[in-house]
Amino acid sequence: MDPNDRSYTNGEITVHWKPSTCIHATTCYKELGRVFNPRHRPWVNMKGAGTDKIIEIIKKCPTDALTYEWNDSSKESEKPQQLSDEALSESVEKMTGKPVEIRIMKNGPYVVEGDFSVTGADGVEKKQMVMTSFCRCGASEDMPFCDGSHRIDNFTSSCD
Amino acid sequence: MDDKKKKTAEFKVLKNGPLQVSGDFKLLSMGGKVIESGNPIFLCRCGGSKNKPFCDGSHRRVGLRD
Repeated sequence: MDPNDRSYTNGEITVHWKPSTCIHATTCYKELGRVFNPRHRPWVNMKGAGTDKIIEIIKKCPTDALTYEWNDSSKESEKPQQLSDEALSESVEKMTGKPVEIRIMKNGPYVVEGDFSVTGADGVEKKQMVMTSFCRCGASEDMPFCDGSHRIDNFTSSCD
Repeated sequence: MDDKKKKTAEFKVLKNGPLQVSGDFKLLSMGGKVIESGNPIFLCRCGGSKNKPFCDGSHRRVGLRD
């Protein structure tokens, strides 16, 4: 377990967040800002909505960064989140052959999905990827990828 | 042969500059409209371009450092 991982509970479910996996696709806070608000600390407020609503949004997380489990262990069977290796390679399979799409996030990064390669600023390192987010604000400490710094930096940009 | 047909794109990070994209891709606006699919394109990475999402050379003024 990564020391940066965080857990939040409302007594009924526990939500886990893995910052190292988060690509800042912004789905969670756009759809449920009362619970997921990166400007607040802690950024997850479990009292902001009911359990069902929170689960619905977590299921929309495009990565495994947000997961949940029931606190009541008899409901263990409803813990659907940990993707098996099989499911993971299946989702990679689905991305492969799909045309690459670059979406521009308002005040945020470029989110890229598909089958693509990334060559680093050194011109040497080349990675094959199927999903990532690239920094658009210039402030990331994890260049060329987004690390969420656009929020601290109050980066504003919309491209319509 | 199949390899040639495979839809794939290439992203190149230009040191202290923009992100060069080539190959098969679609660049979508916030509203989901395709704004670019030809290539290569150079996407702003420094946040300073006045022609976003494209690079206008502002990274030199902004002082983007990789």
